[in-house]
Amino acid sequence: MAETTLSPKTHTSRIALVGNPNVGKSTIFNYLTGLNQKIGNYPGVTVDKKTGSAQINGETFEILDLPGTYSLFPNSEDEIIAHRVLNHTKLEAKPDHVLMIVDSSQLSRGLFLASQLIDLGVNLAVILNMADLAQKNNLEIKAYELFKALGVPILSTDARNQKGLEEVKNLISQRNFHRAPGFIDIQQVVPVDMLEQVKSKFELENLYQAYQMIRFGTRDKAVSPDDRTWLEALAQKSEFDLEEAQLEETKIRYKKITEIVTKALTKKTEPKPKSSLDRIFLHPIWGYVIFISILLLIFQTIFTWASYPMDLIDGLFADISGWISSALPDGPLTRLLAEGVIPGIGGVVIFIPQIALLFGFLAILEDTGYMSRVVFLMDRWMRPFGLHGKSIVPLVSGVACAIPGVMAARNISNWKEKMITILITPLMSCSARLPVYIILIGLTVPDEVVLGFVNLQALALLGLYLLGIIGVFGTAFLLKLILKTSEKSFLLSELPPYRIPRWSDVGITMFEKSKTFVMEAGKVILAISIVLWVLASYGPPSRMEQIRQEGLARLENVSDETQIAEIEAETNSHLLENSFIGIMGRAIEPAIKPLGYDWKIGIALITSFAAREVFVSTMATIYSIGGDLEDELTIREKLDQQINANTGEKTFNTATAFSLMVFYAFAMQCMSTLAVVKRETKGWKWPLIQTIYMSVLAYLGALITYQILS
Amino acid sequence: MTADTLPLNKSGKILEILPSPLKINLMELGFLPGKKITLQHLAPSGGPMAFQMEETLLALRKSEAALIRVEQI
Repeated sequence: MAETTLSPKTHTSRIALVGNPNVGKSTIFNYLTGLNQKIGNYPGVTVDKKTGSAQINGETFEILDLPGTYSLFPNSEDEIIAHRVLNHTKLEAKPDHVLMIVDSSQLSRGLFLASQLIDLGVNLAVILNMADLAQKNNLEIKAYELFKALGVPILSTDARNQKGLEEVKNLISQRNFHRAPGFIDIQQVVPVDMLEQVKSKFELENLYQAYQMIRFGTRDKAVSPDDRTWLEALAQKSEFDLEEAQLEETKIRYKKITEIVTKALTKKTEPKPKSSLDRIFLHPIWGYVIFISILLLIFQTIFTWASYPMDLIDGLFADISGWISSALPDGPLTRLLAEGVIPGIGGVVIFIPQIALLFGFLAILEDTGYMSRVVFLMDRWMRPFGLHGKSIVPLVSGVACAIPGVMAARNISNWKEKMITILITPLMSCSARLPVYIILIGLTVPDEVVLGFVNLQALALLGLYLLGIIGVFGTAFLLKLILKTSEKSFLLSELPPYRIPRWSDVGITMFEKSKTFVMEAGKVILAISIVLWVLASYGPPSRMEQIRQEGLARLENVSDETQIAEIEAETNSHLLENSFIGIMGRAIEPAIKPLGYDWKIGIALITSFAAREVFVSTMATIYSIGGDLEDELTIREKLDQQINANTGEKTFNTATAFSLMVFYAFAMQCMSTLAVVKRETKGWKWPLIQTIYMSVLAYLGALITYQILS
Repeated sequence: MTADTLPLNKSGKILEILPSPLKINLMELGFLPGKKITLQHLAPSGGPMAFQMEETLLALRKSEAALIRVEQI
């Protein structure tokens, strides 16, 4: 009956892991592959392709972790991928074996997908995971009954507590997978002659594959347009309601599964009562109070913990740059290395502590089961803005850093809700905006207490955060009216039981997310920082040379250290003013004059396209503040003395400072975020649209602010 | 009646899933005629509802629960 596949293989065996969401699939994937994981792309979709290699008894296996799905009906991108890999669609190499993971306490739902896999004719083995939960629920599974009914090997594990995992390795190494006879007869729901035609046309192995092809091939871009037309014509000719057939298939399947489960499962108690934790966490008032408290705790921790490694990284890269410029002979190449490449790499690495910590916390919230409760609580408040309950995660992350936020948006299955979330997340006031806000507020808002307890500076800062949030929801609402999709938005999610997080999985998530960011976004960021460096370091050669000579000439008769530093700082300032970026700054002056900025601020706007916090250091260079950049007071005093050549007033008066802050609140000045958006949306279209809309918003916001205040 | 009108902490037996593009999603999650569901939690202001069905707690929007025809038991 069942055919064992023990044939000797010359190539590396590919094994696909399949299962419902929340069944511990990633724990088993992590156990098998450790850190030997790779994240790639599937053509045409945004789902990541997670592969890894496992060494078992000296042999290498390629493990493919498919996204969690409930069925092979491709409703979402995740399911389209599972469908595409497991059916023979030529775009993806078919795995040699399939390891299906089932939650022991959700047997029927897992068997539904397993039975579809059996009908596809894959080499299958089933793991009954979460044995501990089943035990807690007083469920007893007779594995032998299941084996008899399904005809594929069955294994019981408790991956969370590391039980039974050795047996999984043995099963893989012995290739103990079986191709079972069909589970249901698809001819019961679809006319056989139609299926036979599809089967022979696409050279498929069985009628269920043919059914999948005719049901979904018309929507799968992996099928050639000609074939799609052929399939549509066939479906039309037979005047057959395929949608009805799918519902019928589901009914027949579940009927048979219920019979099996009745035999194989003994329940010793009644269904669970309400969980006492949910009474608090899902409470209409306390639920929100707890959610906000957890958020505050997380941000507090991120800001405290991340600042140490960030300072360390900052210092380390400054030291490397300094060492390179002193150790290597001076020249364009050394300067490119010391002032362009090294700070560029530093600009990528500096984000790692925040990304790793944020993803660590998100993994803990996810793993404990709390995250789905947050989605439950927030869905109602997100929907009027075209967002999903799941959008809360990216938005909340955005307060620390938009990068992990954008990366977290992939869990949203509806295209429109996902795009809106990605597009608006960078409007949340991230931590990189803080240095800019703090300097400008310190410059223009008096440090006074009003009404007895309200500090005006704190109030101004709070106002900027609120402005970001207003921007987020206002823009989301507009995008909801603009973007169109035929996909129906739905919630339909499981609230899994509360569990202790698996620390090793949390660690691997932190590592993998940071690695993805460095590898994928790092290239773009590095390229842009080199371009910006070239623009800021070079200008028309004759003018640049003249400034250098003048500087040297002035230095000749000076011996006082402070004076030397002053002259050098002034020379650097002149050089920047006359560089290509300086020329660009002057060129955009007419455009930014209505916002209250002069061309010097224009230069800072351009350089801080790399990252917002660059504003501070550019200001320091332009206003020739030599010495210690860390000394915030020096910068503030210098800025306070500046006179705007156009108006004759102070450059940083209240109107200009607030106009600048509003500009920074809205503008897309973070190439790292752009690089991540490009990665998540698989193209330059959306990051471009995002940059344009955010720039327009920033410009208009700043214009209105300046015109009102001046 | 439909599941969205079940009172809190009350149970219903599923009679049928009404036609809609989400019908297949509900069915593959196990919402099938004959199953017993109990409304355990309600998010405020017309937010999602959480039903206990066998061993699982499932969150649905009100509009999704309205697709499940039940009789109260």
